[in-house]
Amino acid sequence: MNSHHRWLLEQLPQWERDGLLTADAARALRERHAVDASQPGAAQIIMGSLGALLIGTGLIAVIGYNWDDFSRPVRLLFAFLPLLATQLLSFHVLQRGDASAAWVRETTALLQALATGACIAIVSQVYNLGGEWPDFLFWWMLLSLPLAWVLRSSAVAIFYLIAIAVWSANQTDRSLPWHDSPFLYPLLLLGLLPFWPGWPPSRTLSVSVRWVMTVSAIVGLCSAALGHYWYHDATFLWLWTLTAAVIALFPLNQAGIEEPTRRKPQVVLGSLWLLGYGVAATFRDVSDDILKATTNALHLPWCWGLLAVLLVFVLTASARKRWAVLAISSISLLPLIAFPFVQNKGDYYSTLLSWLATFHLAAIGITLIVLEFAGKKSAPRLGAALLSVLIIARMADSHFSLLAKGIAFIAVGVAFLVFNILMSRLHRQKQLPVS
Amino acid sequence: MKALPLLIFALTALAQWAAPLAQIWTHEQTLAKGTLIKLKCTAPDPYDPLRGRYLAVRPDQSEADVPEGAKLERGMSVYAMLTTGTDGLATVTHLSMTPPASGDFVRVKAGYAYDKKAGFEWPFDRFYINEQLAPEADEWFAENIRKARGVVAEVRVLNGRAVLADLSIDGKSFREILKERGK
Repeated sequence: MNSHHRWLLEQLPQWERDGLLTADAARALRERHAVDASQPGAAQIIMGSLGALLIGTGLIAVIGYNWDDFSRPVRLLFAFLPLLATQLLSFHVLQRGDASAAWVRETTALLQALATGACIAIVSQVYNLGGEWPDFLFWWMLLSLPLAWVLRSSAVAIFYLIAIAVWSANQTDRSLPWHDSPFLYPLLLLGLLPFWPGWPPSRTLSVSVRWVMTVSAIVGLCSAALGHYWYHDATFLWLWTLTAAVIALFPLNQAGIEEPTRRKPQVVLGSLWLLGYGVAATFRDVSDDILKATTNALHLPWCWGLLAVLLVFVLTASARKRWAVLAISSISLLPLIAFPFVQNKGDYYSTLLSWLATFHLAAIGITLIVLEFAGKKSAPRLGAALLSVLIIARMADSHFSLLAKGIAFIAVGVAFLVFNILMSRLHRQKQLPVS
Repeated sequence: MKALPLLIFALTALAQWAAPLAQIWTHEQTLAKGTLIKLKCTAPDPYDPLRGRYLAVRPDQSEADVPEGAKLERGMSVYAMLTTGTDGLATVTHLSMTPPASGDFVRVKAGYAYDKKAGFEWPFDRFYINEQLAPEADEWFAENIRKARGVVAEVRVLNGRAVLADLSIDGKSFREILKERGK
């Protein structure tokens, strides 16, 4: 949002000179769309982070040199000197408080995080320590996390989020204890919540941090779902779908709900998975596998944990009237609805889930279109796309001839294009000034 | 300046020093006071003896007897009891779930157990060498490793902790061999 505000503020002087705005109007716009100086611009973060990364990577490259000619104490001194220097720099930046530019905070925090990693790495080199790289990464990211809090550094937060995701993905060996497995991920993610402690909870995260956080959560939580012994390959797919629903329904305050969807990556990515899963569930073979997977998953504690969290999020979303996201997230629960009717009944009844998914997705698609014509905020193109994909999926899973399928696909494509033209005209009419 | 951020920063800075210093302390103690044992190692793969400027060190012995009734699980920390033979090389006599009251032992990670034996992983697997010596090492291995009587890892052990101090080949320190070769 800062980038839009900056653009607007840059245009105001020219608009005033051109007579498009009065001085009062320009002042009112400046006050209304003030730039949040605590949020650095993306360019600032990138340049500062690049500088820090180059310095930090240089430090780490120095490790590879292996100075046999120096004694052990001297080599250890080289390990600690950069750490000391970056800590002094960070202390100076902390002392200056808000007087320090945002990019200075970011660069300092990232430098200190990299110096910490370099120090640990040099010590392990000096003593020929073995061990696995995930263990090194784990301690490095934990020692860096507080820098995101005290220096309010998005760069360190992004590093931490990537590190916990990579660590979790690497720890899916089922023989590991829970504290050394991806089951620790939710606790690790809470460590960033967001950039606490002591800072105002109304702090808004930048779009880049949101995207990294969402992808990190997906990787971490899906790794945890893999951490169980499963009887059936499709078991983890249903757990991943429950995870997608949890992520999509993550509670938002009113300001968050009113933001455009593109600024809510958890809704975008969660919904994409859920819709894809829903379409896949319309296929009879796939729905059969999904129901078998549900039987296995219901024995797993992680599954019950996901369902409990999902229930809480559903209640919160209902209170906030987030009906669209609720409708899409409910796709994850279709197997549970079908489950009691097909248990112990063999394959004959497994088409129940396929039909449930078909009708559910069709209802979502039609509702999204109808709401637009009823004058409500909606996503009619998404509705049309959903219906098109559904029809194509049903045709693909049917026994119709190739000719029939081809004609159906052409008809759906034409209808989709016509609908798109209709929507564009409707939007242009809405944008015309009222005479 | 607010007190809470300063406190958290101070604690973080202390932790960032404490973690590596703790490693240094325990390993220096082991190097200074630990018993020197020698383990015969498998020669690193002559086609890939170096990975990232270190030698992959793999002691010959990778499994040992397990006491009757002991229930080992893969990944569990156990203790490898060491005995030095007449040839000066140490071998692991058996694995134990608890550290012994006396004798030399190393904490290792248990692998798969079968019959009355179990595999285990040593706590060291690499020996860093100077980047300038690394190409020399590569060349030396390609020329000599089949002729050498064997690579021996010199390890200091103290209270279950092991630190790889040196590698020797035919009784001579590997670093010295490479330095002489480089002259």
